[in-house]
Amino acid sequence: MNFATLASQLFIGLSRGMIFFIVSAGLTLIFGVLRITNFAHGSLYMLGAFIAYSISTFLGQGPNGFWLALLIAPLAVMLISLVIERGLLRFIYNQDHLMQMLLTYSLVLIVGDLVKIVWGTEFKSMNVPTILRGSFNLWGASLPLYNAFLLIVGPVVALGLWFFLSKTRLGKICRATATDREMVDILGIDSTQVFALVFAMGGWLAGLGGALIAPTTTISIGMDANILIYAFLIVVIGGLGNVWGTLISSIIMGVGEAFGILFIPGVAIIIPYIIAGVLLIIKPSGLLKSAW
Amino acid sequence: MSTNSSSSLILQEKFRTYLGLGMAVAGILILLAIPSLISPYYVYLLATIFTTALLATSLNLVLGYGGLLHLHHAVFYGIGAYTVAIIMTKTSWPFAIAVVLGPLVAALIALVIGWFCVRLRGLYFGMLTLALGQLVWAIVYRWNALTNGDNGIHSIPVPEFLTSVNSVYYTTLLVLIVSLVILYLIIKSPFGLTLIATRDNPMRSESLGINVKRHRLTAFVIAGFFAGVAGVLFILVERSVAPSLLFWNKSAEILIMCLMGGLTVFMGPTLGAAILVVLSMIVGLYTEYWLLVLGLLLLILVLFLPQGILGYLLKSRNNKKPSMRGEN
Amino acid sequence: MASMVGNKKSHYLFRIGSMLLITVLLVSGCGSSPNATTDKKNVKVGIVDTYTGGAAIYAQDSLDGFKLAIKEIAAKGGPTIEFVTRDDEFKPDKSTSWAKELVMNEKVDFLAGTTNSAGSLAVSQFAKENKVPFIDWGGMSDKITGAAGNRYVFSTIPNTAIIGKAGAVQLSKLPYKKIWLAGSDYEYGHSVITNLWSNLTTLKPDVEKMGETWWSVGETDFTPYINAIRSAKPDVLVVGTGGADMVAFMKALKATGLTQEIPVWAHTCYDPATLRPLGDQAPVNVMGTNPYLSNYPDTAENKAFVAAFKKEYNREPAAFALYGYMGGEFLGQAIEKAGSTDKEKIIDAMEGSTIDTPVGKATLRKEDHQVAIPMSYGVIAKVNGKITATDLHTLSPDEIMPSVDAILKSRSQ
Repeated sequence: MNFATLASQLFIGLSRGMIFFIVSAGLTLIFGVLRITNFAHGSLYMLGAFIAYSISTFLGQGPNGFWLALLIAPLAVMLISLVIERGLLRFIYNQDHLMQMLLTYSLVLIVGDLVKIVWGTEFKSMNVPTILRGSFNLWGASLPLYNAFLLIVGPVVALGLWFFLSKTRLGKICRATATDREMVDILGIDSTQVFALVFAMGGWLAGLGGALIAPTTTISIGMDANILIYAFLIVVIGGLGNVWGTLISSIIMGVGEAFGILFIPGVAIIIPYIIAGVLLIIKPSGLLKSAW
Repeated sequence: MSTNSSSSLILQEKFRTYLGLGMAVAGILILLAIPSLISPYYVYLLATIFTTALLATSLNLVLGYGGLLHLHHAVFYGIGAYTVAIIMTKTSWPFAIAVVLGPLVAALIALVIGWFCVRLRGLYFGMLTLALGQLVWAIVYRWNALTNGDNGIHSIPVPEFLTSVNSVYYTTLLVLIVSLVILYLIIKSPFGLTLIATRDNPMRSESLGINVKRHRLTAFVIAGFFAGVAGVLFILVERSVAPSLLFWNKSAEILIMCLMGGLTVFMGPTLGAAILVVLSMIVGLYTEYWLLVLGLLLLILVLFLPQGILGYLLKSRNNKKPSMRGEN
Repeated sequence: MASMVGNKKSHYLFRIGSMLLITVLLVSGCGSSPNATTDKKNVKVGIVDTYTGGAAIYAQDSLDGFKLAIKEIAAKGGPTIEFVTRDDEFKPDKSTSWAKELVMNEKVDFLAGTTNSAGSLAVSQFAKENKVPFIDWGGMSDKITGAAGNRYVFSTIPNTAIIGKAGAVQLSKLPYKKIWLAGSDYEYGHSVITNLWSNLTTLKPDVEKMGETWWSVGETDFTPYINAIRSAKPDVLVVGTGGADMVAFMKALKATGLTQEIPVWAHTCYDPATLRPLGDQAPVNVMGTNPYLSNYPDTAENKAFVAAFKKEYNREPAAFALYGYMGGEFLGQAIEKAGSTDKEKIIDAMEGSTIDTPVGKATLRKEDHQVAIPMSYGVIAKVNGKITATDLHTLSPDEIMPSVDAILKSRSQ
């Protein structure tokens, strides 16, 4: 095991963590502010990938297709999320966790079959734009350029979230709602509008994750369940509702998996569960303080 | 309220007791006679319903009565089934030992998982059950040498007298009734009432000197045990097992059953299980979009009938006579 | 959750009583639904397959192939074969549940399906116990017609034992010694690799296994796996993966440029289902085996099959279409040969029977009921700017079928 291998694996693990972060950040925001376990988050991610595919195919799978898909697909998913929030979720805010959870689970079932009806069963694939194709050399190991791209997008999203949450008035209201919903209501701010905003934003992040992963993998029915398990584990490890905890746990998960794959490649399937199990047994309430 | 009307209420009460008793006896008689009346497939379907009903009711001990967001109950179901499957195919131990060990191993795993989970509250509890449950799934899925991996274990030998559809039916029926009675007695016992108290007001319970965590853990283990019993029944019904039995969407299915029947009603999960099993069969005859139908159904339930079918029926009945509860 | 729990005993009895009645009425209600009466002259096939989720694409192909076959048989004046389908959602317990429904209620004479190997094994067990023939055209586990095989199960799909042996034959002709094994962490992946490795060590004893990597089914990011394998510098990477994972894995091969350093073997790597979604992002220097291509073998029979399939469904047939097609053809021929709809007679007629297929002669081996068809092998390369399978050769069934002795031995254990 030489230095180049370790370094490149670290790099790959980090870029893997970025996708985890983008998807989980949306989930944890929704957790924190709405106090809803959104099972449909994976479905939104899947929708992001399928919509990105459709846009890219419509534009002839060229580079324009990719960039436009990256722009539009998350927005489309955001719109869908908004419809879900205004049309369904807002009626059950006073119900207990289980009801909210099962409502989002009903969306998992519905979206899963709707995607099959709309897009069919065939495997879909979308092209990486020419500029991000191929690989580059890092300490003697060759790495895909797209992973480097993900390593840029991830921090940009994190910075954007930081800016929004701590520098804008709206973001501050979101944080306040997460900490003390009653107080926000007393102050005369309509917290349900905050909920709509946060749910839409969470949807945007899920859609972005889906659009980002789309060119590197197969777009297929069933991709929702896979990411959902990861996102749940990551969000719990990070501390429910804590975006920065999620950032840390995403990186731990990405890098931990990458090194797990390097050292125990035969049982890679149980690595995420081991990471989650160990961390949760050490710190049952998450790495960073939960929002509530 | 006058004594006159209260005595008529007592009469009414007595009448209702007899009526209930009569209906229960009639129901059990019909259930006993049923295998000779309907086609073997429906006998098998009923056995499936009994198995699933026990599974859902065992979850409801934790979910409805304990108020714990237990999101991965299928794990104990699967463990019970796998224990029997592995003993019967890999060892020469007798069937009786497998049957006893199935629920016990499930309870043991429940003890381990529960021990970590009861330290947490609310959603955290739920998320940790999900994470640890999936860990168990991954181990079962991956441990090829022991579990045959995702291929599952098939042609599991069971004693000759338990192979016919009818004997499986009567066995599952008997086990279901006995288990339901035990579960009911547990809920009505001081332990059960304390558990309900920890659900409704954990802080006050704690301050009254109740060890909330221990009560929750005990309930969790009991639920795991009965899920294991259901797992053993599953082996009787299907004689094969695969890891999908303990994947998280199976747990979601059980949750939906509990919700559908009513979380606050003892027989709710049984009704939910019956409806879901029958419905999935009927819908599956006509379309491959059963999951879409299930999703829409769940949506309607959550939005319009959150107390479940049985919960709704009982509530509307009780609402008509509000005085009854007030007098007691 | 409002507390309704502390109610009185009478309520409970009332409740349990009404509950029982509701359940009983519910079930007996559906029990009284009219049973479909089957015309005894026709044979009815009950298909249990996965029409939901990631594997749905295969079930659709095999179903369409089967439909084409029974249509052709009827057009030629052969027996009329009816069918019904049920979706098992890739859940083995649903597979058996539907199998029971089909046999006990729909009164089907034959069962067929299912893409999930565990489901196929479960249905096969049920088929054996109830003496209903089961044609497996979706489950690829070698156990179905191998160790768990029986009189009532037939397989019209090349299983993992065949695939592994074909891969071993191909690899044994190449100079590679240090080998890394990898695949999707499920039955298909493990079974292909185990069979390939045991055959390869027999054919070429000096090969050396450097390590094994297993990723979970549905993995979206293969770079950490590929990077780790690359650092071990094997002579060749042998992969057992399929479905959606296959396409994603091939993409990652291209993005990481692994095949410029290390050649890769993977079954179905040049299948259109893999290459078509990849477009110009397909990696070259990947070799593999494949049971069926719509343009190979380049024979009149195959062209006719492709044309007929295209006319019917407006797309080219994939391998699973052939498996479903063969299932229908074998059944049709056996019914005619048996001259009756008696299941045991049809089984006898089907055992060891041979039919003409788009890939040549196909035989259902008498001893293990496994279909024997040829297999192609080749490598992906760029030809005239188009990425396609090249250097295609055919392995005859004799070269790739597992030995009957070994199978019968495994069954007796």
